[in-house]
Amino acid sequence: MDIFLQQLINGIVLGSIYSLVALGYTLVYGIMGLINFAHGDIVMVGAMVAFTVIHLLSGSGLPMFLIAGIGILAAILVCMAVGYLIEKVAYRPLRGAPRLAPLITAIGVSMLLQNLAMMIWGRGYLSFPALLPAISIPVAGAGISAVQILIVCASAAMMSGLSFLVKKTKLGNAMRATAQNREVATLMGVNANAIISITFIIGSALAAVAGVMVSAYYGVAHYDMGFILGLKAFTAAVLGGIGNIEGAMLGGLLLGIIESMGAGYLGAITGGVMGSNY
Amino acid sequence: MNLLEISDLHVSYDGIKAVKGIDLSLASGEIVALIGANGAGKTTTLKAICGIVRARSGKILFEGEDIGVLPPHGLASRGIALVPEGRGLFGRSSVEENLEMGAYSRSDTEIAHDLEKIYTLFPRLKERRKQAAGTLSGGEQQMASLGRALMSRPRLLFLDEPSMGLAPIMVQKIFETIRSLEGMTILLVEQNAKIALSMSQRGYVMESGKITLAGASGALLENPLVRAAYLG
Ligand SMILES: Nc1ncnc2c1ncn2[C@@H]1O[C@H](COP(=O)(O)OP(=O)(O)OP(=O)(O)O)[C@@H](O)[C@H]1O
Ligand SMILES: [Mg+2]
Repeated sequence: MDIFLQQLINGIVLGSIYSLVALGYTLVYGIMGLINFAHGDIVMVGAMVAFTVIHLLSGSGLPMFLIAGIGILAAILVCMAVGYLIEKVAYRPLRGAPRLAPLITAIGVSMLLQNLAMMIWGRGYLSFPALLPAISIPVAGAGISAVQILIVCASAAMMSGLSFLVKKTKLGNAMRATAQNREVATLMGVNANAIISITFIIGSALAAVAGVMVSAYYGVAHYDMGFILGLKAFTAAVLGGIGNIEGAMLGGLLLGIIESMGAGYLGAITGGVMGSNY
Repeated sequence: MNLLEISDLHVSYDGIKAVKGIDLSLASGEIVALIGANGAGKTTTLKAICGIVRARSGKILFEGEDIGVLPPHGLASRGIALVPEGRGLFGRSSVEENLEMGAYSRSDTEIAHDLEKIYTLFPRLKERRKQAAGTLSGGEQQMASLGRALMSRPRLLFLDEPSMGLAPIMVQKIFETIRSLEGMTILLVEQNAKIALSMSQRGYVMESGKITLAGASGALLENPLVRAAYLG
């Protein structure tokens, strides 16, 4: 087996998940200069909600792809609502406060989400059902599975959609204007609060999908899975220059590949320091 | 009825009074100058009218409607536009995106047509339409900021020191453009009292938060106090 190629494939898969999460950090930072440390936990909420919905429907006789689709949709909707509420309840009252205040609040929200999830879903690892058959396509000495293909394609599609939205639409123009000068954007008729809400909602939708992906990939979900994942994605966002959308995408990919290569070649030495935490 | 009618406007920043009870009015179609030294409170007055500074009291009526209670993003669609001090362009967005933001509050079908009109007015902007606005020269930025404000088809236009930092030839170009905006009601804030008073019908003089003189621009140009303080 070709270790290099295999780890490259694994790294790209992992990296596309990081990219999706990193985009949430970067979008919010770009608009309001806030590092939303609760973002990783929204990823967890997405995974948990999908887990519950898929679990509930699994005896219904519906085909698996439909069950998975409903699960993902539910995760997206719940995460959008959670993201919207977090901004409205936790961050909006702190507009204009010193920067430390919303940062501390973000950490508080993160802890709140984790503890709520622990109460609802318990402390144990939930075994996430396989959404796709475990087939693997051989590629020049390495293998690529159906889930991996789906993850990479879905991430690429979502990122292209986001790029189009931000770069080519009126809403995107207003988002970028608000990020650069909120006062002047307001004078042009932009409701900055609405733009900020939309930004949280978009970021949370991406996080929901990332949550389902990561759980489907590793086959587990856990109430604090968002913490490390969030930190990694945040690192990816910083690597790409926080606030920069393409940067977050590239940073995520790069981090995924580095991590995967580290796990492939240095696993025995680092003992998991550089490898995935799962 | 006046288009804009302000009475007893007070504004403060963290308890420090910047505007101390001013009355100001603009009739439809008028160009009115607001002059005064640094820190007199001119920019603060404009920001308060536009709702960006909320710590204020007094009445602000636009076409008889109390706009002081509106959210600040509600003014653009009513026909109020500001060319802010320092231009306030979205520096990383392109020139064209900046101009399009000017039309953000519009939903009619003539936006593309108005964009071409701005490009006819300022051909330089057309050449640089894809360039990041932050990389324009000072004069080009002022054109872009003015163009952006015009893209909203304003009925009331506030200009905050459009001549600041520009070479005389560029100042001339900007003011020629402003003069050509027939029928638009304009409040022109300027340090350059001479040019502001020579192109307006009326003027107000502001000193430490108060209006100390008001009258026909011609008379203000001849007024010895104005001459000594602002036209020296
Ligand atoms: N954001 C702010 N916070 C606190 N004080 C402010 C703020 N903005 C302006 N001020 C103060 O309010 C007063 C009026 O300022 P303003 O900017 O309105 O003056 P101006 O007439 O526009 O001056 P200039 O001609 O220099 O632009 C000044 O004393 C200024 O220091
Ligand atoms: Mg000023």
